[in-house]
Amino acid sequence: MGLARTLAVRAATLVILLFIVLFVISFALAGPASKILKDEIMMETRSIIMNLMLHGHYNSTQIQQLQMQIMTQLENAYGLNKPPVIRTLYIMYNMIVFNWGYSYFPSEYGNVGGGKVIDIILSALPGTILLDTFGILLSALIGIEIGLRSALKYGSRSDRAVMYYAALSNGIPQWWLGIVMLLVFAFYLSQIHSPISFPVGGIISPKYYSLWLTNPLKIFTIPQAVLDLLWHFTLPLITVLIINVGGWAYFARTVVLSISQEDFVTFAKIKGLPEGHIVNRYIMRPAAPSILTNVFITIPFIIFGGFLVTEMVFHWWGLGYVYNIAIVGSPVPDLPVVVALTYASTLLYIVIIFIMEIVYIILDPRLRE
Amino acid sequence: MAKRRREFRILGMTPSEIFKEFISGSTGKVAMALFIILVVVSIYALIVLPPNFAEIWNNPKYWQLNPQYAPPAWIDSVIGPVYSQQIYVNNYEYSVQQSNGVTYITISFSVDYKYDKPWSEMFVVINNPAIYSLSQPPVLSITVYRPDGSEIVLGPLPIDRRVTTLGVVPEVVGQVNLFYAEKYHITGVIPTGSSATPYIFYTVDGGKLTPLKGVYNFRLVFYVFSQNASSLINKEDLEIVLQGQIYGLMGTDNEGHDLWLGLLAGFPIDLAVGLLTALIIVVIAVVIGIVAGFYGSLVDEGLMRLTDFVILLPAFPLLIVFSVLFRWNIWYAVVFLAIVSWGASARIIRAMIMQIRNAQYIESAIIAGASRMWILRNHILTQIVPYILYLLVTNVPGAILTLTSINFLGLAGSEYPTWGMLLYYAEVFGALTSGYWWWVVPPGLLVAFVAVVFILTAMASEPVVNPRLRYG
Repeated sequence: MGLARTLAVRAATLVILLFIVLFVISFALAGPASKILKDEIMMETRSIIMNLMLHGHYNSTQIQQLQMQIMTQLENAYGLNKPPVIRTLYIMYNMIVFNWGYSYFPSEYGNVGGGKVIDIILSALPGTILLDTFGILLSALIGIEIGLRSALKYGSRSDRAVMYYAALSNGIPQWWLGIVMLLVFAFYLSQIHSPISFPVGGIISPKYYSLWLTNPLKIFTIPQAVLDLLWHFTLPLITVLIINVGGWAYFARTVVLSISQEDFVTFAKIKGLPEGHIVNRYIMRPAAPSILTNVFITIPFIIFGGFLVTEMVFHWWGLGYVYNIAIVGSPVPDLPVVVALTYASTLLYIVIIFIMEIVYIILDPRLRE
Repeated sequence: MAKRRREFRILGMTPSEIFKEFISGSTGKVAMALFIILVVVSIYALIVLPPNFAEIWNNPKYWQLNPQYAPPAWIDSVIGPVYSQQIYVNNYEYSVQQSNGVTYITISFSVDYKYDKPWSEMFVVINNPAIYSLSQPPVLSITVYRPDGSEIVLGPLPIDRRVTTLGVVPEVVGQVNLFYAEKYHITGVIPTGSSATPYIFYTVDGGKLTPLKGVYNFRLVFYVFSQNASSLINKEDLEIVLQGQIYGLMGTDNEGHDLWLGLLAGFPIDLAVGLLTALIIVVIAVVIGIVAGFYGSLVDEGLMRLTDFVILLPAFPLLIVFSVLFRWNIWYAVVFLAIVSWGASARIIRAMIMQIRNAQYIESAIIAGASRMWILRNHILTQIVPYILYLLVTNVPGAILTLTSINFLGLAGSEYPTWGMLLYYAEVFGALTSGYWWWVVPPGLLVAFVAVVFILTAMASEPVVNPRLRYG
């Protein structure tokens, strides 16, 4: 009973959070940021007019009239003639019903779904899920193992090395390490005609790209395509592992250290229990839930921090790379995509947090009461 | 009787004891050393960079004599003399003659060419506008005496602007082509669109272009069509620059910016944004934490709900979308980032205050009639000061990394070049596909360096703020 109530309160909090984020973005888009929209309408009108002037016969007054007409029509279409409050609500409504509109530059995204923003974002999800799941789980596994070992050898040389490694890997921007990896293992290796070199980015070779964008599951039935995917996956995964292992190791080390100072551990040592027994029974058992829950709780924070930019560097077809195309790759910021991506990220983030909290409650018996 | 001195103690330790505790571990020593390096370099950067550095950095004219995409100059001492160095010619012979209303100014100098890759361009710069805006501009003719005894005559070229770029003048291209046609019987040596200057330093060996090493003598003659023009072109107004293929300590970027200066400029700006963000975060966190922890009940409940909200906000996507929508510069991004990241710090401060508030001595103080403000000032603030400093330090690296990431997307920029912006331009101008390592590696290393300094400082101060970690 209490558990259901806790979860309901949590779900309500998260939904309210989603609404607040949605409202703030929509309001910003409807109010202060509408100037950008106006600029973009102006640009669009100008390109239409240029086309008309090239292919039709109009005099200057006709052109001017046409321009005015197109501008007002576009402004009406974007709802710029309505008061900001109405527009805010309108944008919010469209966001909630997943009516995310069309990208300004569909060709930049390989014309996925005819430029429909929702299709672009859906096509980017598998890439993000692939990199993030493997990256986080593998790094957590390796990191926790390293952390345990170094905590048990507290103060030794290897323990200190783990500490410095943790500090260093927390300070290095993950995406910058990605750039360096690309420079070394893609650019310089192919420069010296090494037999093994890695691709300079992308999620899969061009011949499989359209298949990946439309039906990523089918890729896994073609052995060559899977190998190709793995070949593209190597550098991003290694980058992510190098950076994330340190953080996990340091965290696991802290938890294990604080537990090994507890009285019951000291008592077990006094009793003369064998070392392995103490570690397994008296240290690992109480440490496990707190380490695991931390892994789950931090997942959304990791995904929507460094991972986004890492995807951009590797041109890895995921949410981050779509962000990159929408902001840097387009002639002007592709507003529908940027806004929808932020909303989609928040939505995803909240869903993940909620799932992780359920896992957390299952893992930690104290919270079940 | 000796007067008992009142000792200043935080967490039961005097400041010197805290310092000793901090410095006792190896992490503390390393952190301290790195911190000193960081401070020294930042001060050096502030001294070296002119106050209007942002303006200079964004003025392409200032950098036009520098080579573009040039590796650092020290690579020549690593791989041998391959790339020619940037040369500012200043020890030249200078003589003036006058006859029939024309002033002849002769300048001669020699350069030793010993590289595989020749100078990419030659610039003649006249800094006195009175000269190149004469009704009939002066004319320049150049004779190059090559080590193999041949000579190339270039010009006459009209000097009608401040910077004359030798190799792109069509006449010069024609003359160098003609030289190769007459001497080696090959035509069209210079590909269309490229500069003629490097081809002054080549010879033909076995039908192939090879660099001709040795001493080159240059003779430049300016014909100025007026009397007494010697006062017009004098040594101060004249600059002759041979554009190298390597430059400075850290190379150059697409615009010829000296990257060494750009990297130096990153120290003050990146430290400033990191510290400012951390400061705002800690101020908000302390205020929220104290109010929540001190007033308790409903206020506490409300503020903790708010804190939960803030912790859950997806800061980075929101920062991206607002930077796009509002075209923020970096200072807006700093404020926004601080506003969405104070949650965790506020929770820690509140937990501290709750712990202190329930202590016995606070109760005694209340019974003794102490006011809230008095307790706050004398019991609570003094105890949380080390935590405030600790939080300040822990919040800096995250802020610097996030703001570097947002800069790397080309968002939230500043006039002053940040390391993130250097990396953005590197990415945009194909540093990855062309292998411009000097443009990509140093900025990231410096970001990592600054972040690591703060992370190590935080790690080393953990035993101070968390007494359980103090080991005898």
